[in-house]
Amino acid sequence: MASLTSSLSSLSLHSHTSSAAASSRFSLLPASKFTFSLAAARPRALILAAAKCKPSDDIDTSFFDNVNPEEEVPFNPPEPPEGFVAPPSFDEGPMESEDEIAAAYEELYGPAYSGVSVLGNDIYVMDSKIKRDTGFGSKAKKEKVKDGFEERVVQVRRVTKVVKGGKQLRFRAVVVVGDKKGNVGVGVGKAKEVIAAVQKSAVNARRNIITVPLTKYLTFPHRADGDYGAAKVMLRPASPGTGVIAGGAVRIVLEMAGVENALGKQLGSNNALNNARATVTAVLKMKQFREVAEERGIPMEELWK
Amino acid sequence: MTKRYWNITLEEMMEAGVHFGHGTRKWNPKMAPYISTKRKGIHILNLTRTARFLSEACDLVFDAASKGKQFLIVGTKNKAADLIARAATRARCHYVNKKWLGGMLTNWYTTETRLHKFRSLRTEQKTGRINSLPKKDTAILKRQLSHLETYLGGIKYMTGLPDIVIIVDQQEEYTALRECITLGIPTICLIDTNCDPDLADISIPANDDAIASIRLILNKLVFAICEGRSSYIRNS
Repeated sequence: MASLTSSLSSLSLHSHTSSAAASSRFSLLPASKFTFSLAAARPRALILAAAKCKPSDDIDTSFFDNVNPEEEVPFNPPEPPEGFVAPPSFDEGPMESEDEIAAAYEELYGPAYSGVSVLGNDIYVMDSKIKRDTGFGSKAKKEKVKDGFEERVVQVRRVTKVVKGGKQLRFRAVVVVGDKKGNVGVGVGKAKEVIAAVQKSAVNARRNIITVPLTKYLTFPHRADGDYGAAKVMLRPASPGTGVIAGGAVRIVLEMAGVENALGKQLGSNNALNNARATVTAVLKMKQFREVAEERGIPMEELWK
Repeated sequence: MTKRYWNITLEEMMEAGVHFGHGTRKWNPKMAPYISTKRKGIHILNLTRTARFLSEACDLVFDAASKGKQFLIVGTKNKAADLIARAATRARCHYVNKKWLGGMLTNWYTTETRLHKFRSLRTEQKTGRINSLPKKDTAILKRQLSHLETYLGGIKYMTGLPDIVIIVDQQEEYTALRECITLGIPTICLIDTNCDPDLADISIPANDDAIASIRLILNKLVFAICEGRSSYIRNS
């Protein structure tokens, strides 16, 4: 009996489980609605990317996170309401005429890209969504992305691909993007010109942004080390007034995150890109004291002993 | 969300052959909880679990439709292509029934460019300008139009990324599934015994080979979408 009720409760989509059990993509709390906005991209790929386009959080698919497939739950469908007539399959029934279909779709979605408007709407309604670019030659629109992120170039290297005719040269740029408030991202981009490569890498960096757990004194909560490839990075918090004492790529990542006092050391290879990525992994491993206290269910005072 | 009645009976599912899986050698061990027995070298799915998942999927779809979300149905098997098109037109959803072009969702900007071109070709065709060009140009444009119609015909009303994607065969549409995962779009997938149930958000263990079984499941989902839509129209 108890198992039956517990399994039935797991069937309910009013999830009472704590948010820790939620799948990483959806939040159970009715948080602010995520409206995904895909701003139109310029042909030179200067995309105002809203990192990942997440759907609104009111689609609750968390039913399947805590379902135990092994349990033997009998199938008890609710009773059919009176006068329930099974609707015909979509195959049977008269085939709708094209006009009817077009009209129905247009009612729901507007004329979009169909090119013909049965209900008399303007067919060029989608044009306003795409901004025309009037650049001739190089970019005439200066992409000063106004989302508060500062970019800094870590490294620009000339890389070659050898083909039958000779060497084909391209530039690879590694860029770190961050506001000085705890959000950073590392990106790579390759192109035939330096500026284009820098822009591509900035776009890429905006797609993978992480948050750094900062304390009140603008440093880390605790030591951490992370590795990526052959690059190992060790990060250590420092008392206020120390400044960022780290080399090359690590220093740039920490500065763009807004960390003021920290020590960092590159222990493995010196590759800039891999070191930047290793600091990112190191930072991801860090937890705030508050989180640990909540997870372990003990007051924070215990952690400081 | 209350549990509604979706007219799911085990008998009609058995008639349609929903419980048949693929051959025993091709199974994915992650499907073990959903397989009940093995018969004559074919795995048999556990229909009670299928029915549960199907009713939950219908509930989800109903709620999403009653909030006015956009759906996309993806199914490119030759046998099922017509079914998908009819089901989607009946439910007024977008669909992809010929090849799923790589990057249709992740590279939405480029897909939109193609849709623009499609629209301009259609307007030209309607106004008749397409015939006033030399024969070769006309032929080229007509060919382009027919290509775009086959690949993008089902998504010509799509203005942005869809909110829920329904995929018919996971093995076949693996690229589509991966794209939805990277973008974070919830997916409902028909899983057979050789597929991975953890990839999609809601996986319905069912037979993806028999047309009757695809038809049955699509029927339920389409019914749920229509109901949700009508409640959306009534409420707004």
